[in-house]
Amino acid sequence: MTDTVYASNVVEAAAMPEGAKSSPLKRALVYALLTAVSFIMLYPLLWMVSSSFKPENEIFATTSLIPQEFTLDAYRRGWNGLSVSFGYMFLNSLLISVLVVIGNLISCSMAAYAFTRLQFKGRGFWFALMLGTLMMPQHAVLIPQYLMFLKFGWVNTIMPLVVPKFFAIDAFFIFLMVQFFRGIPRELDEAAIMDGAGPLRIFLKVILPLSTPVLATAAVFSFIWTWDDFFAPLIYLNDIEKYTAQLGLRTFVDATAQSDWGALLAMSTLTVLPIFILFLLFQRLLIEGIATTGMKR
Amino acid sequence: MSITDASNAGPPLSVRLRSQLGGYGFLLPWLLGFVVLTLGPAVSSFYLSLTDFGLMGPANWVGAENYVRIASDDPRFWTAMRVTFTFVLLSVPLKLMFALAIAVALNKGLRGLTVFRAIFYLPSLVGGSVAIAVLWRQVFAGDGVLNQVLAALFGYEGPSWISNPSTSLYTLVLLAAWQFGSSMIIFLAGLRQIPQDMYEAASIDGASRSRQFFKITLPLLTPVIFFNAVILTIDAFKAFTSAFVVSDGSGGPIDTTLFYTLYLYQEAFTNFRFGYASALAWVLVVIIAIFTALSFMSAKYWVHYDD
Repeated sequence: MTDTVYASNVVEAAAMPEGAKSSPLKRALVYALLTAVSFIMLYPLLWMVSSSFKPENEIFATTSLIPQEFTLDAYRRGWNGLSVSFGYMFLNSLLISVLVVIGNLISCSMAAYAFTRLQFKGRGFWFALMLGTLMMPQHAVLIPQYLMFLKFGWVNTIMPLVVPKFFAIDAFFIFLMVQFFRGIPRELDEAAIMDGAGPLRIFLKVILPLSTPVLATAAVFSFIWTWDDFFAPLIYLNDIEKYTAQLGLRTFVDATAQSDWGALLAMSTLTVLPIFILFLLFQRLLIEGIATTGMKR
Repeated sequence: MSITDASNAGPPLSVRLRSQLGGYGFLLPWLLGFVVLTLGPAVSSFYLSLTDFGLMGPANWVGAENYVRIASDDPRFWTAMRVTFTFVLLSVPLKLMFALAIAVALNKGLRGLTVFRAIFYLPSLVGGSVAIAVLWRQVFAGDGVLNQVLAALFGYEGPSWISNPSTSLYTLVLLAAWQFGSSMIIFLAGLRQIPQDMYEAASIDGASRSRQFFKITLPLLTPVIFFNAVILTIDAFKAFTSAFVVSDGSGGPIDTTLFYTLYLYQEAFTNFRFGYASALAWVLVVIIAIFTALSFMSAKYWVHYDD
C-alpha cells in the first residue's frame, strides 16, 4: 500500500462510486459537517493572522476575525522587539534551510542511486542498516554528537545544523528517492551503458533529469522541516545574532512577558508565512509524498 | 528483487567493476555519515551512560548506577514517564480516529475534496512550529480565545487551561490531535486501493452501509491503520517543541507537561549531566523499541494482509 508507484494518481482519483448512491440530504449533511470541522480547525490560524493586524486593545475585545481598525503596528513593534532585528533571524533561517536542502538533495540522491542502480558487495547489508536508522530516535546519538561538535569548535555556528545533511543523515529522503528511482525503467540505464556511459553519467544524464518530482518533494520537505526545527538550533546556537526565526520567536515570548500579544502574533504569522506559501505552491507534491511514503507530517 | 537480475544479462567485466567502485563511490557520503554521526555516537552514548560524565572533570566508570538511579531513585523520571505515556495513549488514538473519520467522509466522491483535504492537512504542516505553540498558549490562556468564545456563547468563565495543572497536558494532547492531517492523507490513499467491486457485490447482497464499513473498509484498511499507529506512536514519544514553548522549558505547571524529551533536554543541557542523560536516552530508545516490537507482534491478530 505504501510502495505504490510514486507518480501514479493515488490521491487524485476521480469520484468514488461508493458515494454515488447516497441521498442528497445525506450529502448535504456531510458537507455541513466537514465545513464546520474545517472552520474549527482553521479558526486558531485565522485568529492569529487577523489579530496580528488589530490594535492591541482590540485583540481581546472581540472574537471577530475581521479587524475593525487595520494596522501594521504590531509588525513594526515585533520586527524590532529584540536586540537583534527579526530580519537577521529570518536570514539565518533562510541560509540554514537552503544549505540543508542542497545537502540533502546531493547526498541522499547519491545514496539512493547506489542502493537502486549499482551492483556492489554489501549493498543489501547497508540498505538494511539505512532502514534501521529511519526508526532510531535521534536522542540516542544526541549527546556524543554535541560533544563532538563542541570539540570541533562548531557549537554556536550553523555547522552542526548543516554539515551532517551533506552526509545523508536524513534517511527518510533516501527512502523517498529509492521508492522513486525504482520506478524509472532500467532499459534507460542499459541503453546508456551501451553508449558507453559510466555510473556517474547515468546518474547525471538519466536518473536525475527524470527525478524532478521526487527531488522537488524532498527539497520542499527539507526546507519546511529545517525552517520549523527548534530542537537543534536551541542546542547549538547561543548568540542572539545567530538565532533562527524559531529561536527568536521563543525568546520573544520571554522578552515580552506576554504583554504584547499583537507583536508576538505578528511575528508568529511571519514565521509561518514561508511554509504557507510553499504549501500553496507545492500542495500536490507534498500530499503525494506523504501518501507514497506514508511518513512524517 | 532487482538486486541480482541485472547481472544475469552479463554486462562486460569493466562495466561491473565500474559498478562496484561506483557503488561505494556514491554511497560514500552516507557511509561516512553513518559511521561518524550515527554508529560512533550510538556506541559512545552507551558508554557515557555507564559513567558520571558531566561538566566536572573526566568521566568515571559507574557501571549500571545511572540506570539503577533512574529506576529506583528519580521521581522526575517517573513523572516524565507518566506524562509521556498519557500523552501518547491519548493523542495517538484521537489522531487515528479523526484521521480515519474525515478520510472516510472525504472519500465519498464529494466535490471540493482537494480544498477540504488542503484545509485538514495544513495544521499538520505548521503544527510543529514554535509559532503554533505560541498561538496555543494564547488560545488556552485565562484571557485566551477559547474562554472568550465560551463566554460569548455560554457565559462561562473558563480558567487558564495552560497554567492549570489538571488541564495543561490535555491542551497539548489537543494540539497533537489537531494535526491529524498527514495520517488522513495516508488513509485516503489506502481507501482508494480498496476494490470498488467489493462494495458493489456487498450492496447486491443487501449489506447496509455500516455493515460494509465494518466488514470491508475497516478490515482492508488495517495495514494502513497499523502503519499510521506505529509512526504516530514513535513521533508522540519524541514530542518536544510544544511542551517546551508552552511551559517555558520547565515542563510546568508542577511538571504536568514534563515530556520525556524535555526532561532529557534539561538533564543534558541545563544540568550538564551528560552521563545520566545518555542513560535516559537509552531508556527512551528501549521503550520505543519495545512499543514497536509489541505492535508488530500484535499485528498478526488484527492486521489483515492479503497475499
